Amino acid sequence: MLNHNKYNINSINPLFRCILNWKSCVQFISIGLPWVVYLRNDIRFRKLDMNINRIKIWVVAASFAFTAPIFAEGAPNAEEGKKLYDANNCGSCHALDKKLVGPALRGVHERRSEEWLISWIRNNKKFRESGDADAIKLYNDYGGAAMNIFENLTPAQVLDIVEYIKTAPAPAAPKTTGPAIASDAPVSDPSTKYILLILVAVFAIVLIVLARVRNTLKRIAAESSPEEYSELQGNGNFLQRLLPASLAKMNPTVLGLLVTTIVALPLGYYGYKFAMEEVGVQKGYAPTQPIAFSHKLHAGELEIDCKYCHSTVETSKSASIPALNTCMNCHKGVQLTDKYNGEISPEIKKIYAALDYNPEELPGKQFGDNPSPVRWIRIHNLPDHAYFNHSQHVVVGKLQCQSCHGPVEKMEVVQQWSTLQMGWCIDCHRNTGIDVANNNYYAALHEKAQKDLTHNQNHSQYFGPDGKVKITPAMNGGLECAKCHY
Amino acid sequence: MSLLKKAKMSNNIKYWKGEEELNRDPQFLADQKREFGEALPLEQALSDEGFELNSNRRDFLKYFGFSVTAVALASCYKTNVRHAVPYLVKPEEVTPGVANYYRSTCGACTAGCGVEVKVREGRPIKLDGSRDSAISKGGLCATGQASILSLYDTERLANPLIKNQEVQDWSTVDGEIKSKLAVLKATGKKVVLLSNTVNSPSTLRAIAAFKETYTNVEHISYDAVSYNGILNANESDFGKRALPHYNFANAKAIVSFGADFLGTWISPVEFQADYGKNRRPGVEGGMSVHVQFESTLSMTGTNADHRFPMQSSKELAYVATLYNYIAKAKGIAQIAVPNNSELAGNSIEKAAKILLKNAGKSLVVSGSNNTEVQQLINAVNMLLDNYNSTIDMVNHSNQYAGNDAAVQTAFEGLSKGTVAGVIFFGSNPVFNHNKEWAAAIAKAKLSISFASTKDETAAVCQYVAPDNHFLESWSDAEPVKGLVHFTQPTIAPVFNTRQAQESLLNWAGALPNNEIDPLSGKGILSQKLEASSYYLYVKNYWDGILGAEGFQKSLEMGLAETPKTEGLAVYTGNVAGLASSITKAQASQGVDLVLYQSVGVRDGAQGNNPWLFELPDPVSKVCWDNYVALPKQIAVKLGIDKDATVNIEANGVKYENVPAFVQPGQANNTVSLAVGFGRTHAGKVGGSLEKGFASIGVNAYPFMSTTREVVIGDVKITKGADKYVLAQTQTHHSIEGRDLVRESTFTSWKKNPNSGNEKSATHIYTIWEKAEYRKDGSPNHLWGMAIDLNACTGCGSCIVSCSIENNVPVVGRDEIRLRREMHWIRIDRYYSFVNEKQTMTRENDIAEADANDKGNYSHWENVSVIHQPMMCQHCAQAPCETVCPVLATSHSSEGLNQMTYNRCIGTKYCGNNCPYKVRRFNWFRYNDNDKFDFHFNNPLGKMVINPDVTVRTRGVMEKCSFCVQRIQEAKLKVKREGGNMKNVQVETACQRACPSNAIVFGDLHNPDSEISKLHRNERAFSVLDELNVQPSVKYMTKIRNTETI
Repeated sequence: MLNHNKYNINSINPLFRCILNWKSCVQFISIGLPWVVYLRNDIRFRKLDMNINRIKIWVVAASFAFTAPIFAEGAPNAEEGKKLYDANNCGSCHALDKKLVGPALRGVHERRSEEWLISWIRNNKKFRESGDADAIKLYNDYGGAAMNIFENLTPAQVLDIVEYIKTAPAPAAPKTTGPAIASDAPVSDPSTKYILLILVAVFAIVLIVLARVRNTLKRIAAESSPEEYSELQGNGNFLQRLLPASLAKMNPTVLGLLVTTIVALPLGYYGYKFAMEEVGVQKGYAPTQPIAFSHKLHAGELEIDCKYCHSTVETSKSASIPALNTCMNCHKGVQLTDKYNGEISPEIKKIYAALDYNPEELPGKQFGDNPSPVRWIRIHNLPDHAYFNHSQHVVVGKLQCQSCHGPVEKMEVVQQWSTLQMGWCIDCHRNTGIDVANNNYYAALHEKAQKDLTHNQNHSQYFGPDGKVKITPAMNGGLECAKCHY
Repeated sequence: MSLLKKAKMSNNIKYWKGEEELNRDPQFLADQKREFGEALPLEQALSDEGFELNSNRRDFLKYFGFSVTAVALASCYKTNVRHAVPYLVKPEEVTPGVANYYRSTCGACTAGCGVEVKVREGRPIKLDGSRDSAISKGGLCATGQASILSLYDTERLANPLIKNQEVQDWSTVDGEIKSKLAVLKATGKKVVLLSNTVNSPSTLRAIAAFKETYTNVEHISYDAVSYNGILNANESDFGKRALPHYNFANAKAIVSFGADFLGTWISPVEFQADYGKNRRPGVEGGMSVHVQFESTLSMTGTNADHRFPMQSSKELAYVATLYNYIAKAKGIAQIAVPNNSELAGNSIEKAAKILLKNAGKSLVVSGSNNTEVQQLINAVNMLLDNYNSTIDMVNHSNQYAGNDAAVQTAFEGLSKGTVAGVIFFGSNPVFNHNKEWAAAIAKAKLSISFASTKDETAAVCQYVAPDNHFLESWSDAEPVKGLVHFTQPTIAPVFNTRQAQESLLNWAGALPNNEIDPLSGKGILSQKLEASSYYLYVKNYWDGILGAEGFQKSLEMGLAETPKTEGLAVYTGNVAGLASSITKAQASQGVDLVLYQSVGVRDGAQGNNPWLFELPDPVSKVCWDNYVALPKQIAVKLGIDKDATVNIEANGVKYENVPAFVQPGQANNTVSLAVGFGRTHAGKVGGSLEKGFASIGVNAYPFMSTTREVVIGDVKITKGADKYVLAQTQTHHSIEGRDLVRESTFTSWKKNPNSGNEKSATHIYTIWEKAEYRKDGSPNHLWGMAIDLNACTGCGSCIVSCSIENNVPVVGRDEIRLRREMHWIRIDRYYSFVNEKQTMTRENDIAEADANDKGNYSHWENVSVIHQPMMCQHCAQAPCETVCPVLATSHSSEGLNQMTYNRCIGTKYCGNNCPYKVRRFNWFRYNDNDKFDFHFNNPLGKMVINPDVTVRTRGVMEKCSFCVQRIQEAKLKVKREGGNMKNVQVETACQRACPSNAIVFGDLHNPDSEISKLHRNERAFSVLDELNVQPSVKYMTKIRNTETI
């Protein structure tokens, strides 16, 4: 699998996605090669029209040639490295030409070997524990501030990053801190890949056309000289000629059906699974946000309660992204100057820029005249026709945030953890019990149901197999359309 | 057996929805058989050249292959990056996703209803009546509901204008205006500040401050539809130029001469609420009786127990006759005029008897703008002892106080040049007074308009200083003496506009110093709404009266009440001198033109509001046009059939080819035309000459003479050359002769509360078992609705409320002609004929009456009407659910018929199988579609969208959901915060809006709830009970109080 940070994998056309993956490559070749062999071996063709046959082979060959660079796990790629560098927020601790929390990175490939870098970057803790002297020294030089662990990076990706550092241009102008406005550009730009996809489609069409031409020629051949044609045709059809003699004796219809079934069933299964589970599902979506806010730091290490910032989660349908004044409750004071050579952390500066707040001005004037709101990128996008209310689930359902959002406190960059598909909602509605006793509404409902039970046996649905009450949202109409769609 | 016979008798009244249905018009019958309003152009499409239906296997495979590929590619879309932009500094009271409610005052007219504004994330999205307001009493009219869209009108001016050029900077405008005002003051030239009625104490103070600085300013007010008749009559009779405050709650007998007090007259929301209280048969003291004399079949007339046609020009004679009857009974001298007992049969005598029986708790009102008529009305009410019971002249109404004579003087002064400057504040005389104003304004040295759009008057003014919408303003109102409502902003100004009052104070140099924001001095927090300097002005004033705390509390409540003044106004009137006028009125000949306000559009001030145009007229069910309403008598004389037009000429004004509409109930020798239409500078919806959008209808204001009379005698009317198809909703479906509405009389009801509702269907067989959740004692909720046909006046407030709440799109005139309106709730209006003795029951009665009539068609003047709101009935055994092939419509365990848009594939089977015809199909994508250029296609107009309700797309069915979003919200609140569902009132949008509380909603599984009681009531019936679909909506049989005479 590819790194989620590298691409929003679901955003890439799935047809194209399959050729990004080496398994698909094998599949592609395993399907494509027999074609080539088949075409070459079809002696009828050699006789009838060599040229067309040759073209066809070339077409197949060209389509492979075209996609070849994608399959190659080749030389390090600086462009990919830049993306990885940004996506993993290397820049929050490192600069190329300046010592921040960590050392300046320019020329690091001269200072350290590739192997050393791979080990250090992927898991510096393990590396230090393995007793590497350089690693321990480096750790101590930087005051024991441990670098994050990036085991999600493959060695090749680490080399991509190193390649980026190698080739990055030297700084030209002094850096400026602009307002924190995220670009509207998509998270990854697969447009070139779309072009490739179109090309593949074009080739596929050409293949089909040629197949038709072949048929026509076959027909003409049959009409013009039936004897020669039937002689050329040999015994049995193509499949039978390919198969061992024992199988080839089978009834061609049965054989055909057998082969089709064997091929079609798994294909159909995977197709269905793909359509149901992947198309339009954004699980794993982890866009780069305008401010590199780390939940891992705030919710995980500092153990700030989720509700401190997402304060409306208990009262509103929306958990809401906190307003910047919530950030300022702490970040008026917390500026991390110790980590940035006496300067304010660049990410915190983005908050100040958005509020047009000047930390050097005396207190009293809080915010400036030219504030510019932060345009966060929405991660969880329910369709408009689905109504979801956070307070219902958090207060009434007493769910933990993590039940749906995953271990956010461990996420450096927040990603969509659940599929947010309707099936996922319904599963939970079917299986989660309602805390009847501690909720007035359900208690009243339950009391009525129990009272009614004396003369109505049909309420047995409210009892689990052990005879104890277990009411799930599904029993209380939680699967009905208009509970969420209106 | 006898019961059955009786049932038959009471239920075979012949109801009809329109003339085409009554006469079994072949076209109409054919239309009813068709599924769609127009034939789908399939044949034409298929017969087009080059289109062959002969496809073969290869084509099939080609298309199939292409479709599969296309679908595969389309489903592999790349999701757009969506942003979430939180507040920089979140206001403490705002919780994203949760609505805030603020009390304020409706500014759609000067009635001053207290409202509750629903605000989501800083956007007002819904207006409802404030329950504490003595004016709105919890309801709000269609016009008020719709006024929220005027806030998000793209036609609003974004900046002030100087000579039609936009200027960003107010100081430039202020500078120029101030210097011109100073010159006019120095040279002693007169300036007129022409407003509509101003009943806001703080605004009047601001105007006074302006006048103090500019002593040459005179403040004059007028109203588009004038109440000068009453004002002048009261001035002469009580020495006080004011409207009385009517109290319909005390009136057990009401006689109205052409006053549409439930629809448009003075304070309709208040009157509806009060009137509705006495219209239920079970009310203490018995049901009230309502007699209406009128020319136009008004909405109020449709609700009357007795309605008599009256030629409006003879109104004075009618009222005089009534006076004489009552005077005779009281032993007081009568007016010396020949008594006209034959006026409308002996109806006046009947009315007099009813009034005398209820003396002291009766009320006589007139919609006339004739002072003499109103003096007589005063005299009648005085004789009946109605003052201080149903009429309060001490704590009078301030709702309308215009002065037509003063405006006429100002107009003449401006034309002659004696008035050198003019400022328009809430007034648009070029449209609604006199077209000559345009030329007169051009002569002025200084002309300023405060209009928020470039209306007819603003277009000819030198300066336009656009006023805020009332939802952006600080203000107050004193609609009735001693009753103050407050207006507070619920959104920061959308555009670079400024409150008119602030402008006046600014020019006068009387603005209070702006408070410096204590937190920042500037910056984000200085955008606080309270920082408006007019807020300080209002606050300073009310702090002085209520105290700072009192003012804050009053703001929260939206109102403050001062103790009522006791006492009785001294009557000094004398009607003896009116004899000659009365004799003259009796002799009136010719055809009258009666101008009226339509219930939605009213005076036309909100001329660019698509919700109001889309709202069908309560009586004619015509949308998107005004029309000349003709009685059958004139129509037959002119040879007018349907889709015809007429040419109309009166008072020197002539319109050709105005759509004509044969209105049952229209009095003979009268025609009616609604004012408020024909805007030329309203905008893309209402019409704009400048931008090339056609006007809607014709402007009827020019027919009014300088006396602002709404009745114009001697109108010439001829058949027009053109044809015109009006967009009318009521005849889209047929009754098919079924028993849809039930009625009875008060007398019968007293004997038998089941009267009129005896018929109950026997259900022999059903394919359904009774669902578990519907059984008594089931723990779930079972939502149901009850609608009282006695309380429903047909006003249409619920329709607009529903459209706002549920994001119902506006479809426009052409689509309505094709029977594609989208309203989730409609109000069906059923006519039946009444003659002297009884309601006509049989078709041959009608035929007989037609034959015996000799060209008078008098039975066409006498129709009786029932209004029946109709929405999804949420049937327990819903026919729609069983036919949906994809289970897009299904039943919930709470009794709701659910419509799931994301499942719907648009087969329309459900719509076809719905016996109530309440399902609506989205023929088009109405949002983001410039072919539907109303409000859904621009970002500003979309701000009114309710974020809790899906905006439907093309190709899906939709229908009333019983406001399931509100049900869910109420349930969640209890689940989250504790409490008992029994004490929680879930209100649907239609119910919340209804001024007369005709709609009740609630849980049928709670036996103590109001809804359960109503469903058990003897009057309750289900529509189309014989189908055994078991609707969750029940209607209360209409009871008419007809036997009192």
